[in-house]
Amino acid sequence: MKGKVVNNLMLNDKYYLMEIESEEFVSKAKPGHFMMVKAQQYDYLYDPLLRRPFGVCDIERGRFKILYILIGKGTNLLSQVKVGSYIEFSEPLGNTFNFNNEKTVALVGGGVGIAPLLFLAKYLYNQDVLVDLYYGGKTEDDILLIDEFKKYCQHIEVTTENGKVGKKGIVTLPLSENIKKYGKIYACGPKRMLQATSELAIEHNIPVEVSLDERMACGMGACLGCLVYVKNDKGEIEQKRCCVEGPVFDGARIVWE
Amino acid sequence: MSKSLEIEICGVKFKNPIITASGTFGYGIEYARFIDLNRLGGISVKGISLKETKGNKMPRIMETNAGMLNAIGLQNVGVERFINEKLPLLKKYDTRIIVNFWGKSIEEYVEVARILDESEIDMLEMNISCPNIKEGGIAFGTDPKMTYSVVYETKKVIKNKPLIVKLSPNVTDIKLFGKVAEEAGADAISAINTLLGMAINIETQKPYISNITGGLSGPAIKPVAIRMVYELYKTISIPIIGIGGIMNYKDVVEFYLAGASAVQIGTANFVNPEISIQIVKELEDYLKSKSIDKITDLTGKVIV
Repeated sequence: MKGKVVNNLMLNDKYYLMEIESEEFVSKAKPGHFMMVKAQQYDYLYDPLLRRPFGVCDIERGRFKILYILIGKGTNLLSQVKVGSYIEFSEPLGNTFNFNNEKTVALVGGGVGIAPLLFLAKYLYNQDVLVDLYYGGKTEDDILLIDEFKKYCQHIEVTTENGKVGKKGIVTLPLSENIKKYGKIYACGPKRMLQATSELAIEHNIPVEVSLDERMACGMGACLGCLVYVKNDKGEIEQKRCCVEGPVFDGARIVWE
Repeated sequence: MSKSLEIEICGVKFKNPIITASGTFGYGIEYARFIDLNRLGGISVKGISLKETKGNKMPRIMETNAGMLNAIGLQNVGVERFINEKLPLLKKYDTRIIVNFWGKSIEEYVEVARILDESEIDMLEMNISCPNIKEGGIAFGTDPKMTYSVVYETKKVIKNKPLIVKLSPNVTDIKLFGKVAEEAGADAISAINTLLGMAINIETQKPYISNITGGLSGPAIKPVAIRMVYELYKTISIPIIGIGGIMNYKDVVEFYLAGASAVQIGTANFVNPEISIQIVKELEDYLKSKSIDKITDLTGKVIV
């Protein structure tokens, strides 16, 4: 697929938010989906070579957004894409978050992992679900899109490691204080945050879904480069492809490394 | 579709010379949702072994300059499940099916080949060149005596299908290995597999992939592959299937000029799942613009 870049906004020194026009993509995208995005705009450039996976951050009126952090060649090239130019990406890939008519849920996120949670928050809000957000970052620069989240979340708890924004500490602390009120927890962010959130949810017997971010080559289930280890019903460990059977997994079944 | 792209290798007719390379196209069916598999000349299925293999630990892949390193470790469902579960789905498509296979011993190579030889596939591709597994794989492809033995013994049990031998570039003189494989009975050669490489994270000071080393693929390796196909073409008389960093029709033409009779598209499938089909169209246009009747007219025609 190809779409016109209608916004490529620098949020701060680290993060960008790109908005792309594509009716076709938007008509297929559901909360939890990701896409592979071609970072360079010219076919003859083969460095960087592979496309980059991004979670769908938001969709609205034929447009979708991706949130990215400047980390290497690919994301640096993305940051240079001019508004009005075209960019290539795959169709929405992977599985989606699951809903079972829970009345109150918690979203737990950090870093670029906050991206799919915005789309999810909006979806749940429209289903009349009460949504709380627990948002953790290293510094104030990692806390993004709060005004957007405020539209859909009844309560937002922010933590940073340096305490400049929100409470000082890690996000699972405020979550643990309120955890009993939630019918389900959804999380996306650094692996340690997902593991801590899942362990907390298991302890309180609350269903938890996490969206994982593994290094991917194809995004379509062919390369087997993005495996996740998951326990099945019998307690046996199985290999799952993050790109096809994921990126959303039952947090209680993941074997954390 | 134009007849200019039709080819025949070892008696097997292909509608075009574009084959997807083993390890980059799963069991083929993973891509059926994204592209029309009927438009491919052929599919070389992921390396199949006698028993199911779980592959190496994560992380298994890392991007490098104009390429990528992988250490998947030939993960596959095993020959029995491949034939029962995957092959029937793949057989629904009008494309040639080549099955890449490997073993940890000569006996395993022979046994997998014997089973595949009785199945509904078109060709076998012996993998003696995977750099990512300790036993088998590259061990057979970097010792000429072992290359001879494994090809010779396996060829004895193959009664129905042509045998392609996929060579390793991780040798000093690939001509020697092409010659040995030909003498041992290979019907065709595919070249090259990945180059052994390594990448280190300077923050953690650890290798990026768990296997420490991995197989380098992508456009970064194309000049090495072209050189090796050129050397092989001058040395052996069986057909050569060129592989290594092909990203567009120009790369295909280059492989043909170096001596290829068909090509395989690998890492490019990850970058763009439609690339093989696009290349078929571009090749047709190229031949027309150059008034070349058949793509086979280009094989080995580099002017030196």
